[in-house]
Amino acid sequence: MAYLSMGEAHRRITEYLNRFSDAVSFQDGASLKQLLSVSSNSPSLLSLADSLNVFQDANRLIKQSDKYSHAFLPEFRNWESAWALEALYVIAYEIRILAERADRELASNGKSPEKLKGAGSFLMKVFGVLAGKGPKRVGALYVTCQLFKIYFKLGTVHLCRSVIRSIETARIFDFEEFPKRDKVTYMYYTGRLEVFNENFPAADHKLSYALMHCNPHHEANIRFDSVYAFVNFKSDKGNRCGMLLQKLFHSGFRFPLAFWNLLYKRYGIQQGHLANEQQSPANQVTSSPSSSPALMILKYLIPVKLSIGILPQDRLLEKYGLIEYSNVVQALKRGDLRLLRQALQEHEDRFLRSGVFLVLEKLELQVYQRLLKKIYIIQKQRDPSKAHQMKLEVIVKALKWLEIDMDLDEVECIVAILIYKNLVKGYFAHKSKVVVLSKQDPFPKLNAKPVNS
Amino acid sequence: MLMMNQGVNTQTIASVDPNSLEGRYVVDVSQGQTSSYNPTAYESEAASWTMHRVDNHSIENGILSNSSYHHDHRTQQLARSAQDSLNTASLAGSSTQGTMSVTQDHSSYAAYNPTDPYGYGSSGYSSYYNNGYQQQPNHAYSQQQPSHPYSQQQPSHSYSQQQPSHSYSQQQPSHSYSSTGGAYQNTGAPYQPLSSFQNTGSYTGTTSYSTTYYNPGDYQTAGGYPSSGYSNQTSLWNDPNNANYTSQQYSTYAPDTTSAYSSGTAASMSINYEQHYKQWADYYSQTEVSCAPGTEHLSAASTSNLGSAVSGVYPTSNTQPPASFTPASWRPESASSELSSLQTGAIISSTHDGWKQGTPSFQNHHASPTQPQFQISLESKASYDNIQEQQQTAPQAPNSQFPAAHQVTQSYQSTLQNALSLDTRRVSRMQIPTNPRIASNLALGLSKTDKDGPTNSAAAKPAYISVSMPKPNDKVLSNDATNSMLKPGMFPNSLRHYVERAFNLCKDDTQRVACQAIMKEIITKATADGTLNTRDWDAEPLFAIPNAEAVNMDSQCPTPVSSLPRYKRSPGRRSKSRWEPLPEEKSVDKPVSINNDIVKYDGWERKPPSVNSESKWNALNNMKFSLSEQRLPSKNTQRPAKRQHLADGLNAANNDASSDSDKEQSLTAYYSSAISIANTPEEKKRRESRSKRFERGQGHRAEINYLKQKNAGAENLYSRRASALMLNKSFDDSGSKAVEDIDWDALTVKGTCQEIEKRYLRLTSAPDPSTVRPEEVLEKALLMVQNSQKNYLYKCDQLKSIRQDLTVQRIQNQLTVKVYETHARLSLEAGDLPEYNQCFFLSGSCQVSYSVEACTLLQFESEVNGCQSQLKTLYAEGIEGCHMEFAAYNLLCVILHSNNHRDLVSSMSRLTEGAKKDKAVKHALAVRAAVTSGNYVMFFRLYKDAPNLNTCLMDLYVEKMRYKAVSCMSRSYRPTIPISYIAQVLGFSRTSDGNDEKDSDGSGLVECVEWMNTHGACLISDSSGEIQLDTKASSSSLYMPEPEDAVAHGDANLAVNDFLTRTSL
Repeated sequence: MAYLSMGEAHRRITEYLNRFSDAVSFQDGASLKQLLSVSSNSPSLLSLADSLNVFQDANRLIKQSDKYSHAFLPEFRNWESAWALEALYVIAYEIRILAERADRELASNGKSPEKLKGAGSFLMKVFGVLAGKGPKRVGALYVTCQLFKIYFKLGTVHLCRSVIRSIETARIFDFEEFPKRDKVTYMYYTGRLEVFNENFPAADHKLSYALMHCNPHHEANIRFDSVYAFVNFKSDKGNRCGMLLQKLFHSGFRFPLAFWNLLYKRYGIQQGHLANEQQSPANQVTSSPSSSPALMILKYLIPVKLSIGILPQDRLLEKYGLIEYSNVVQALKRGDLRLLRQALQEHEDRFLRSGVFLVLEKLELQVYQRLLKKIYIIQKQRDPSKAHQMKLEVIVKALKWLEIDMDLDEVECIVAILIYKNLVKGYFAHKSKVVVLSKQDPFPKLNAKPVNS
Repeated sequence: MLMMNQGVNTQTIASVDPNSLEGRYVVDVSQGQTSSYNPTAYESEAASWTMHRVDNHSIENGILSNSSYHHDHRTQQLARSAQDSLNTASLAGSSTQGTMSVTQDHSSYAAYNPTDPYGYGSSGYSSYYNNGYQQQPNHAYSQQQPSHPYSQQQPSHSYSQQQPSHSYSQQQPSHSYSSTGGAYQNTGAPYQPLSSFQNTGSYTGTTSYSTTYYNPGDYQTAGGYPSSGYSNQTSLWNDPNNANYTSQQYSTYAPDTTSAYSSGTAASMSINYEQHYKQWADYYSQTEVSCAPGTEHLSAASTSNLGSAVSGVYPTSNTQPPASFTPASWRPESASSELSSLQTGAIISSTHDGWKQGTPSFQNHHASPTQPQFQISLESKASYDNIQEQQQTAPQAPNSQFPAAHQVTQSYQSTLQNALSLDTRRVSRMQIPTNPRIASNLALGLSKTDKDGPTNSAAAKPAYISVSMPKPNDKVLSNDATNSMLKPGMFPNSLRHYVERAFNLCKDDTQRVACQAIMKEIITKATADGTLNTRDWDAEPLFAIPNAEAVNMDSQCPTPVSSLPRYKRSPGRRSKSRWEPLPEEKSVDKPVSINNDIVKYDGWERKPPSVNSESKWNALNNMKFSLSEQRLPSKNTQRPAKRQHLADGLNAANNDASSDSDKEQSLTAYYSSAISIANTPEEKKRRESRSKRFERGQGHRAEINYLKQKNAGAENLYSRRASALMLNKSFDDSGSKAVEDIDWDALTVKGTCQEIEKRYLRLTSAPDPSTVRPEEVLEKALLMVQNSQKNYLYKCDQLKSIRQDLTVQRIQNQLTVKVYETHARLSLEAGDLPEYNQCFFLSGSCQVSYSVEACTLLQFESEVNGCQSQLKTLYAEGIEGCHMEFAAYNLLCVILHSNNHRDLVSSMSRLTEGAKKDKAVKHALAVRAAVTSGNYVMFFRLYKDAPNLNTCLMDLYVEKMRYKAVSCMSRSYRPTIPISYIAQVLGFSRTSDGNDEKDSDGSGLVECVEWMNTHGACLISDSSGEIQLDTKASSSSLYMPEPEDAVAHGDANLAVNDFLTRTSL
């Protein structure tokens, strides 16, 4: 890079400052936003960067950003209207991105990465500024989402709780009032939190909301398809959900392009330099063109749906390249315990990273249920009168066919658990080692309810 | 005081100082050992501070000697020990002169003040110096003369010190005042002027101290915080009693310290020394708050050692009587050897103690210094310089003093001559390292200091040995050791360069010899420290090369036995009244001394015009001289002459002083030679430049270099501490170092405790190396714990103390891992309590076992988690251990007890492929699967053949699992389940399947029935008499029993008795 002359550098800086002051004095949020997006590649900023030669070091940059951010905040607080909201968004975004970069640099230098943490606390301040009455409150959710990202990245997910509480309980916030993009992001992260808490119905609700509302134009197909795929499930709820989605979609929901760009950036799906930097391991996305927010959401939504008894269509999995789930779904359909275990083992790393491993593991009971059901169906075909009495030996033998070696005690235990968890109706007679199934609906459907009841 | 002023004036004064020193020596010879020595010490110190390290050294020596005197007062043995510590410096002499040493320490501070001019906090230093000087004079007085005279003199000194050239005139007057019988009143007036000086610096307090002695009003004038402290010090000095001195010293350091002082006073002499040390340390560290008063006292002993080293000067004061002695005694190394022999043994031990103690004291000092942090830092540097200087001087003056102290002193002197400089240096270095450590961790500081202390003593011993007969053996050994050390060629290049640099500075053979000795000591010490290879030798300041002449002088100096009696007396005095002025007798003595001082002061006054700094130094010197003069009129006269000389010029003054009396002349000649070397313009310049950057300065370091080096070392230490503390970085160049540049190695304590068993005590201050066990001992301790039959609480206590020692010494290796693993396992076992459980089950008291489980869960989790997090970091550092085993524990912990899915997932995702193949980890993963699926059959199977201590962890989950299982069964099974089956499935039958099935079944059955009953299950007997669980009835009646005998501390059975008996362990 050629060195700039002093005069040129000076000219550029002056130009930038002029534009900045113009933007502030005219309350031109859009241009202010541009001027503040440090990590963007806007030509004016690049030239400024050349002149300041300041972009070499994210760590240094973050310090500067801290300064201007902290300087900006009180000013913003004093501006009554929300004209600078966009600029604030940019600052919140930039400070997070830069902090992540700085942390990477710090970590590579063997120092303790702490910038992101600092960015988190700064954003909490920003949140405090926004969380009030007035036009600025609509920006609160954006900041919340940035906070979520930081907390998820830092692994301090418990910190999300306080923000969530204030968003969901504070009367000043009307959730519907927030921009759609923020709502989707918010729902995505809260849905993930619910997955961790194994609160599947809530997770299902939130993630479904995110899925329904994400995907504007160019990903619209995916959204529709995904919704449609779920619509075909035999679940009532899935049906209703699908119908709703279809309605919504056809009514012409559209989201601004900026939202999608934002999502791209957020999820590392973006083209260009940002994508590489923002990809977190948990959010690794295949490079398929269909990689999208929807995919991000589906990665969590599918396990959730599975655990409440709703299976996706193969088409959906194929479309998004979610092949890791296909065997799981297959195992559930067939009652093939071995296949499930194989699938889990095969993709263990991926599932562990995304945090759905335990969720998927719990599907085992459903697989057992399916297996018993198959046995039951076969017995029924042979002798309907005795079909409700299932000998333990039979189950053990069936498992043996699956190359799963379990002794009587273990299988007895599994059966007891199935009964206990209401996956099987009936009782177990210890003396005769027989499972006595209820004659009425011995294998109740989950009906969108979690297994543990 | 004059000395201080001179110091402020800087180099010129320093040059004067040498002269003054010479004069003083002469005086001492004539008057008494102490007086002459003190002056010298002061002068040396002042000089050093002023840039002339040599001067400073001399002063320091005087101070050191004083401290040693205090020691003597306390007990001869103590004194000896102090001397030992001092050995590094002028230990022997100092010890004998316990009281003197205290004063000397103060003087050293004063000397520091002069150093301030160098750039630190001149004012603060000066004040300290002043105090120190004052105190020293006082001490001397107290010993020789009544306390009053001393006090007067002291105040005057302080004044002069605090105030620059101006103070000189004032100081001198004040001195004169003090000298005149009315001394107190007179001093009061002088002090007020001093108070003004105090204003200039934070140290002003010192003036107040002096005032306190003389006049309360003076204290007020001081007004400064420090002033109060100073007043205390001065009062102490006045008291002459050791106790008084000690208290004073403390007060001088910081007002806070006064409280400590009071306690310390009890310790009396030793405490005073410690305090001084502490003060220095504080200065160095600056950052840390003073240690607990108690610690200070303890440290006081260590400080006393340092003081003793310094005390060398004091001894000189004592030596007044010895004056005659001095010539002969000094040289009579053989005589000294006698002393040394006795002393050496004691000294070695004492030195160790002293060092250790000293470190604590440093900490304490730090605390006090914290208030005036900047000043402190400056002071600390100054103090370092002073120390170094003192040490250097100590060899000269101290030697004389030592003779005064009697045999012990002589030995010290001898050592001082050769080793004093080295010793002092070492001491200073040692102190410095300890200080930083202390700053960081008190405990650490102590331990390190201890180590250093030993090394120092050893080093010192060699020197002593040369001088003294008995000691010689030890010394020789040490020397040999050092030689061998040197020979191996294992030294890093930087060290070689360092040695080369040191030798390049030597101007003649004598210096070279001295330098060699010093180098040996340094290297030995470094080797002992383990810092030989880690230390930055390139940045290591060169030590000042001791003057052979000075050494000789020291040998000549031997003070008469009388000095020892004095010391002894001083302790008694202290005990009587710390704060009150010294007995009338002392006062009488003091007047005499005062008169002498006055004369000297006058001379100084004249001088000041020529060079302020010099005048200050001279003033300081005068103070010292005054002390000596007080003791011996003849000396006084000589001293004035010296002062005049100083005014004229250091060299000239020295010469004049020498002319005053033959003895003095001889002494002065030594001093002058040393001083002249130090004072040469070139050297002065060098010193100045170096004073600005002691650490980095390399080349030119001759004798001056010695001093400078010592100073630099002190500064380095200071800087380290400062950086560590982040307090005053600006003081030293080193201070500017970034925090990450802190040499934590230097802050690490090295333990000396050989006790295998040690109770855990939460550290509230810097660790005392004497109570910290080195690694070898810790290994034994671990073995002991592992093989111990005692209960968990005992083992836990022991392991905690082991961990503490490890932490304090920053030992992170396989031993550390072992200890943590052992502890983790132990706590797991305790959480498991297999034996307890067994007998509970067998005895049918299932409830108890449950409650135990529940209660121990908490305890165990805290313990285990603590161990685990520590182990995690240790493993992360690549230290081998049972990584897998503990990964499994961690996994189990998360699974079974935290029930946090996120944690579980993250810890699972962290497992490597290799880890997943590990038996223990596999087991843990299987347990997880069993738990998450609720597969109780699997769980209890895994429970039965769990590797390592996985059982213990699972044990804590057994209760829950059983309850879940029975709930599940009672819902799933109809109509009944045989208890035998439940007992088998739920792991009630403890014995393995093969042997004694009946018995095991039987016992398992009983257990199971008990369990069922306590959990509200409905049991029925069928026709065949077999007990069955009525599942339908039970499904609604099951409950988890509340732990009935939960105890706050977690374990009903373990605890009560153990907690009661614990204290007796």
